[in-house]
Amino acid sequence: MSAITSFLAIFRGRRLATFGLIWLLIVVVAAVAAPLLAPFDPLDFDPMVRLSEPGWPYIFGTDHFGRDSLSRALFGARMAVLIGLGSVLVALSTGGLIGMLSAYSTRLGHVLMRLVDVLMAFPALLLALVLMALLERSVLNTIIVIGVVYATTTARILFGLTLKLKNEVFVDAATCSGAGHASILFRHILPNLISPLLVQASFIFAFSQLQAAALDFLGLGLPPEVPSWGNMLSEERIYITRAPWLLIFPGALIILSVFSMNLIGDAMRDSLDPRFKDDIAGV
Amino acid sequence: MALLEVRDLEVGVAIGGKVLPVVQGISFDVEENQTLGIVGESGCGKSLTSLAIMGLLEGSMLRLTGGSISFNGQDLLALSPRARRAIMGDQMAMIFQEPMTSLNPVYRIGDQIIESLRQHRSMSQRQARARAIELLDLVRIPDPERRVDSYPHQLSGGQRQRVMIAMALACGPKLLIADEPTTALDVTVQKEVLDLMLDLQKRTGTAIILISHDLGVISETCDKVVVMYRGKIVESAKTATLFSNMSHPYTQGLLASIPVVDHDVEWLNAIPGRVPLIDEVLPGCAFHPRCSFAQASCATSPPSADYVSDDHLVRCHFPNDRPSGGEAGGDA
Amino acid sequence: MTQATSKRALLDVRDLKTYFTIGKTGLFQAKSQLKAVDGVSFEVREGEVLSLVGESGCGKSTVGRTLTQLERATGGRADFDGQDILAMSPRAFRPLRRQIQMIFQDPFASLNPRRSIEQTLAEPLFIHKLARNWAEARSKIVETLEQVGMDPKVMQRYPHEFSGGQRQRIGIARVMILKPRLVIADEAVSALDVSIQAQVLNLLKKLQQDNGLSMLFISHDLGVVRHISDRVAVMYKGRIVEMGDKSQIFENPQHDYTRRLLASIPRIAQKAA
Repeated sequence: MSAITSFLAIFRGRRLATFGLIWLLIVVVAAVAAPLLAPFDPLDFDPMVRLSEPGWPYIFGTDHFGRDSLSRALFGARMAVLIGLGSVLVALSTGGLIGMLSAYSTRLGHVLMRLVDVLMAFPALLLALVLMALLERSVLNTIIVIGVVYATTTARILFGLTLKLKNEVFVDAATCSGAGHASILFRHILPNLISPLLVQASFIFAFSQLQAAALDFLGLGLPPEVPSWGNMLSEERIYITRAPWLLIFPGALIILSVFSMNLIGDAMRDSLDPRFKDDIAGV
Repeated sequence: MALLEVRDLEVGVAIGGKVLPVVQGISFDVEENQTLGIVGESGCGKSLTSLAIMGLLEGSMLRLTGGSISFNGQDLLALSPRARRAIMGDQMAMIFQEPMTSLNPVYRIGDQIIESLRQHRSMSQRQARARAIELLDLVRIPDPERRVDSYPHQLSGGQRQRVMIAMALACGPKLLIADEPTTALDVTVQKEVLDLMLDLQKRTGTAIILISHDLGVISETCDKVVVMYRGKIVESAKTATLFSNMSHPYTQGLLASIPVVDHDVEWLNAIPGRVPLIDEVLPGCAFHPRCSFAQASCATSPPSADYVSDDHLVRCHFPNDRPSGGEAGGDA
Repeated sequence: MTQATSKRALLDVRDLKTYFTIGKTGLFQAKSQLKAVDGVSFEVREGEVLSLVGESGCGKSTVGRTLTQLERATGGRADFDGQDILAMSPRAFRPLRRQIQMIFQDPFASLNPRRSIEQTLAEPLFIHKLARNWAEARSKIVETLEQVGMDPKVMQRYPHEFSGGQRQRIGIARVMILKPRLVIADEAVSALDVSIQAQVLNLLKKLQQDNGLSMLFISHDLGVVRHISDRVAVMYKGRIVEMGDKSQIFENPQHDYTRRLLASIPRIAQKAA
């Protein structure tokens, strides 16, 4: 309970971040309750009503197959959350482990971190494109590829933090108590990395939305039949003049989500800043 | 009239909408050519008192909530920030504990002295540089012509603290405030730095406020001593009077706590308990929970500061009703 | 105290060397070696306190850190109870850690901020299999906390809720809970205020006497050293320049550096009233 209250305390007095949090909640609710909320089946098409303008009963209009845009957007939220959470999980677990191990064992670090450096030399999107080109389009592969791309930055950050933490006196003290390597890494160092990991998670979540949309748009992301915001953009891009709402709605959803997660991440990072953490004990 | 007159100084810290007092009713005088020692443990308010005098409290959670500070006949608190800045570094200077962090690592030490000189004196670059070399020589930095172009990291801890002293003395201040100037230094270096400060005082007549937790340092360098506990002066006197006739149980306990080098003691007379937290409310004497002479009245009514003899001030309900001298202290 | 001299050595250090390779300080400078400890020999006898005293950078802390394998020795040997601990692999040394414990200087940095006092104190018990379950661990924690003068009710709390003196008591409890034979105290009271330092110093002395501990007490403070030691070794620039019984070092110092050190300490001039 106290973890939740202290998390919510971050948002006190930060209006933009609070807005971000609310938007995130809306997206999550939409994702969970998409089958209940969607007025139509997102895959059902009706050629009679293709490209109809926003109105009733198609609030967001329909696409060139005559599918309901609102329903597709709601199921798209599902994809957004799934890809966000999935790539965060992949990036933090692989990148985190690589970073921590590399910092802890200098010899391992020489090898692993050089590998990370090589991967980081490629722009994120290019790296994702190359990896996706090698794999077939699927939800799982998209998650893995985006996760791997951001595992590199996560590894870099955790490498630096672990390097600092492993020289802390309490780590020496644990060593003197007889603690083994695994215990020092996971019981003593890792709990001190939770806050920076959470910040990193929110940024990865934000960027994963952009990456996924870009991959979809280039036809290398999710399979085309899957309703996602990126696919909606990609499929309807030629109708930008005839039916601009088909691009405005998913585009706005992507921008809002990326923006929101960035705001949340900024707020969390600020609250991490030691200057704000200083308590009265030092006076 | 004394050079510096501090009267009823109060400092508060703003936490969660409330202002808690951290320094209360501090009054003392510092004369020219005199060294005043302020001694106490961490959190007693000794550093905050010096920051308040230097006007360095602004911009933090701390604020001056009362009292007056008169320097050289002028009321410091009535001055504009600009006029106050003109005094600081010129007529009043300060030395901090950590010489590495108080010198800017990317500038040569000479340039840092020259900057503070040119801020307050109209001098050419060449004049200022000559004066900087002179100052480094004064604080006994070897080979000052070459050292003036060194960066802080190229000097030892003791040398850095000497450079800090040189900077502080650049404009020939009337008052020098030294906040734990030797705490980060080794004892052999500490001795050199303290000797240097006293020697310079003899030559220039500068008044010094020396803040320290070390009764030994205070005893060897100061003319007058102020002992602080939890934001208040608990005892003050001339150094000789204080150390021969300690009258406050806290001062006595502090002395008894120090393991001395000159003879063996089986057990130290430690003061029991700990310093009260900043937000703890103690209606009576702040020291009574740790005092082995405490009576019922000590918990309820705050003692006033009274003179037990000329110049010897003690804030205690029973300054004379118990055995005095170095032996008394708390129970171990 | 003098009977300690007849006792046998628990730790026998011979010609200990610890060198550090320091990275390049400038772009074109070669790597250089820092001889932090350069040929140090001493012994800590059963039940005695030997102090290593010296100024910053003299290598006294490195001696302690090398003996606990926090740093790797460059040369020499250190026999603990007859076995050379410097030659042991970290894995082989681990069981011995129970017997050789270290108290650290900074009570704010030496406790993991994310672990409760109970977790911190239980860890060494489980590692060395001195407790089979939490009930056993808890009863040992209660006993040890009382031993260091802390209320056992504080177990569930986290380090930030304690003052410096209390944290150092917890640090001492973490050491004492293992019932070690040799305690290496690295500036164990230096970060504390005078009145608190006296409490902790009395506590350390009492624990040492009650349990017949051997102690290597590393400090820069000669007053503290005089108070707690049986014998004293004075270190200067990586070497021991003078070693002897406490009375000899303080009453009749032979080496120039020892004399200079003693003369530099500010004394309290106390005239009779």
